[in-house]
Amino acid sequence: MIALVRFQVAGYVRSLRVLHPLIVVALVVVLVLAHGPGGPDAADLAVGTLGDVAAFMFPIWAWAARALLDTQPDEQRLLTATAARRPSMPTWAGLLSAYSVNVCLSVVALAVPLMQAIQVGSPGHAILMGCVLNLLVAVPATLVGAWTSRALIPDPGISLLTLLGAVTALVLLGIGRLAWFSVPMIEWLRAAHAGPREFTSDFPSIALHLALWSGIVGAAYIAVARQRP
Amino acid sequence: MLRDVTLSLPPGGVTEVTGRNGAGKSTLLRVIAGLRRPRRGVVKDRPGRVGYAPERFPVDQPFTVRAYLGHMAAIRRVPADAVGTWVERLGCGHLLDVRLPELSKGSAQRVGLTQALMGAPDLLILDEPFAGLDAATRDALPALISELAAGGTTVVVSDHQRCIEALPGIDRLHVADATVTYHPSAGTPWTLLEVEVPEDEADTVETKLRADGYRVRRPER
Repeated sequence: MIALVRFQVAGYVRSLRVLHPLIVVALVVVLVLAHGPGGPDAADLAVGTLGDVAAFMFPIWAWAARALLDTQPDEQRLLTATAARRPSMPTWAGLLSAYSVNVCLSVVALAVPLMQAIQVGSPGHAILMGCVLNLLVAVPATLVGAWTSRALIPDPGISLLTLLGAVTALVLLGIGRLAWFSVPMIEWLRAAHAGPREFTSDFPSIALHLALWSGIVGAAYIAVARQRP
Repeated sequence: MLRDVTLSLPPGGVTEVTGRNGAGKSTLLRVIAGLRRPRRGVVKDRPGRVGYAPERFPVDQPFTVRAYLGHMAAIRRVPADAVGTWVERLGCGHLLDVRLPELSKGSAQRVGLTQALMGAPDLLILDEPFAGLDAATRDALPALISELAAGGTTVVVSDHQRCIEALPGIDRLHVADATVTYHPSAGTPWTLLEVEVPEDEADTVETKLRADGYRVRRPER
């Protein structure tokens, strides 16, 4: 499994595809996040920023996951499958590779807001939960990217439109009554901006929602991906 | 699409898959290799270690040959010296620092064969392995296939170049009109031929004959 993950991540990094999301994240960090929170509510605002990072990173994580999984040519996917022996291993390794890269991207995105939160004296437990939130949100984002990868949607145009459509649909679905079917983006944004105490108290239900959503969508992905050549 | 395919591949046998372009040879090979699932029916008792060399090796990857084979060896859990052995046998030594996109078709084919062979596969699937190969490797490959089969590897090869049809004792699968027809080699009877050789050359001759696909029996010394 580790060898497969290393192979996929090495291919993604060496192909320089990793630069696309990295440049976008770096631009957002420099242009938006570098201007830290100020005023009397700076500590609260800094916690809210951690929720904002998870929200704007969601489509970037999905995009990066799709790009990583699409780096291997189709024939190489077959060679990897025969080399791996267990049929499900490449699917798991693909998800783990994409998630690992997304965690690295979130480190880049979170570095400045984290330092700002510490500087303005935001509560430590709220900062910690903001980091955990980002790690949790990267899972469903990775799964959205995996569902739109070439193994499942061979046409690149349709795949990209599906990715954009899925992210938009998830945001819109989260606003209405069917919010339970979507990732709880609105909930975590609301909780993060309501203050550290609100964020801490709402965090378990948000984490449970994310875990359930990821579990169901991930299980469906594994089942479908195993059927594909 | 292929229908009503029922066949059994004997361990240590060499099977040639024939048929015109687009008949479904590659599909059949992928089903045998476990890379495609049949919509109906099952493939049973497939060996655990499968080597697969595709018709076109995917060169569009950001690795050198050395890095690529290193990664594939790690995935197959193959020691580095086993990789080195196959690199030398298939003449890939001088290619190790070449980037995959810069390989010629024949060189890419050799890298594809190396990754398929390095894990000592019990089942070896070769899809048009002779296409684009240089003359030396093309001449050496049939003997190598016989050697692997003599060691117990089940080998299935599609071969438009007709490079292995001269091998004795190979079975044939003909793919046409969505069906697969099995032609076992048993139709050609084997006969006994005694050959006398100098004692110090016996091992060499035995190796050569086995490599050519013949069965060799020697009196106990």
